Amino acid sequence: MWTFGRKIAAGFTLAFLLLLGIGGVSYRSISALTSTSQLVTHTHQVLEHIAEVLSLLKDAETGQRGYVITGDEAFLEPYQTAVGSVHNVVKDLRQLTADNANQQTRIDKMEPLVAAKLAELKQTIDVRRKGNLEETTKVIRSGEGKKIMDDLRLVLSQMEREERDLLKQRAEEVEAAASSAKSTIVFGTAFCLLFVTATGFFITRSLSGQIGAAVRHVQSSSAELQSAANQQASGAKESATAMTEITTTISELLATSRQIAESAQRVAHVAEETSTAARAGDNTVQKSHESVNSVKRQVDLIVTHMLDLGKKSQQIGGILEIINELAEQTNILAINATIEASGAGDAGKRFAVVADEIRKLADRVGGSTKEIRVLIEEIRAAVNTTVMATEGGSKAVDLGARQFVEVTAALKQITELLGTTTAAAREIELSTKQQATAVEQVNIAVSNVAKAAKETEVSSGQTLQTAGQLAGLSRDLIRLIQATAGA
Amino acid sequence: MTSVSPIAAKAAELRSVFDHARAAPFPSGEEEQTEDLLAIRVSRDAYAIRVTEISGLATDRKVVTFPSPVAELLGVAGIRGALVPVYSLAALLGYAVETEQARWLALCGTEETFALAFCDFEGYVRVRTAQLYSAEQNDVARVHVTQVARTTDLVRAVVSIPLLREAIQERCRNNSVPKER
Repeated sequence: MWTFGRKIAAGFTLAFLLLLGIGGVSYRSISALTSTSQLVTHTHQVLEHIAEVLSLLKDAETGQRGYVITGDEAFLEPYQTAVGSVHNVVKDLRQLTADNANQQTRIDKMEPLVAAKLAELKQTIDVRRKGNLEETTKVIRSGEGKKIMDDLRLVLSQMEREERDLLKQRAEEVEAAASSAKSTIVFGTAFCLLFVTATGFFITRSLSGQIGAAVRHVQSSSAELQSAANQQASGAKESATAMTEITTTISELLATSRQIAESAQRVAHVAEETSTAARAGDNTVQKSHESVNSVKRQVDLIVTHMLDLGKKSQQIGGILEIINELAEQTNILAINATIEASGAGDAGKRFAVVADEIRKLADRVGGSTKEIRVLIEEIRAAVNTTVMATEGGSKAVDLGARQFVEVTAALKQITELLGTTTAAAREIELSTKQQATAVEQVNIAVSNVAKAAKETEVSSGQTLQTAGQLAGLSRDLIRLIQATAGA
Repeated sequence: MTSVSPIAAKAAELRSVFDHARAAPFPSGEEEQTEDLLAIRVSRDAYAIRVTEISGLATDRKVVTFPSPVAELLGVAGIRGALVPVYSLAALLGYAVETEQARWLALCGTEETFALAFCDFEGYVRVRTAQLYSAEQNDVARVHVTQVARTTDLVRAVVSIPLLREAIQERCRNNSVPKER
């Protein structure tokens, strides 16, 4: 697609070329006219010089005649002037006709005649000065002077005729050149006017179309720009509000960061104190561990003793079984003795009493052994319970010892972790301080951004105003283009 | 000390009773009529047998079993140099066969001696004759119980050994195998 500049340049280039062509043609025609006019002027000069030669010769003849008639020297002034000038005029005439061979030939014929005439005039004048009028008249009457003058007139008339012919020819040429130049100027100008008009029409039409489209595009763009500026203005307002809220939030965050830093500092302090307490607790746990080990040894000793006691109880039980069996056998024997005694009648009564006593004693022994068995069973049960309880205690002590080991390890780990916690708390404190500094910088940056948002809001308003003005200009331009197109 | 004191008290009581018995005079024969009983337990039921109706008491004797048409006969055991048939008191009283071993044997009679086996012997009991009451014979299975001993802390059926002897003899007669010609 051709641009505006290219179209305008093309139109002006064509117009320039046309003007250049018309100018060239006109220049050539005028140059031809000028040269022809110069030739005409030259011909007129030649004619003037021919006429002057004849006139000078006539003046010389007039002076000669006056002097001859009057004998007054004053009448010789035209003669003397002509004699002084005629040769220069002839010389000029030869130069003016240097390019014309016919005229040079005629000048060759004319110069002896001029010299002869001047000689004849001089002769008559000289003769007259001598006072011999008759002789002078005789010379004049001889007609030689007239004959020379006639020849001169003939030569000069021939020269004048040729010059007249040349003048006529050159006048025709001048007229033809003038006519050509006139035609060239008139038709060329008319053609140029037509071409420039057509080019201007097409360029105007094209430019109107393109500029109209561009202006409509600018109008729609300005409308979009107006809308965008509106949105930008509202967005900038919202951004300013949001930035204000962010500034408030960051201020709160800054305060929170400072509180966190203070808390981290307190945490580090507490962690150090806790670490000290944990080390003290570790020592206490070590002592407790030793005490628990001592208790464990005592409990193991108790378990051993109780197991021995259980074994002894079992042995007592065994012995008691024997006693019980003995009592039972004694009882049986006593019963049998009682039976035997009762079978013996009165003789056996006393024996029966004894047997009865034995049986009672055996009964009581049996009852006592039962009670002792119960007691032993209770002892054994108590021993078993004690052993189990002691074993449970031993296990508990073992568990306690293991737990003490675990507690010791845990306390050690707690101490290490507290060291880590202290370091971490210090790092947190440092980081939080750095964070607070960064937040302050962010706060400053956000304040700057808020200012920028407000400035953006202002510039959005200006952009909106400019977009409105641009839309008005677009409407005006469209009206201008439509008016131009309508016109 | 607390656990030792009852035992010491028991020993002192035993010593006192023994000394008192030694010191007391023999009975003159004018005391109140009494009956000596052996308190036993058959299939967890409390019974008693008269000491005067048995000839001896033994325990833990090996009873050799042998085939017999009499179901109550457990076998024979060697007691005081003689082979004695051993009958199950529980079976004779109509109980089912006891699962627990009957380790106590009561010898009955001096001639045609037999032994009654029971599980538990609980003691020697002396009751007044007035405390022996006649038992009601409504139950066929308890035909061998003729009296009941009842005191303030004792109620026991008294098994009649003579009736048991008769019952055994009756059963032996009923289940006797004819001899080969």
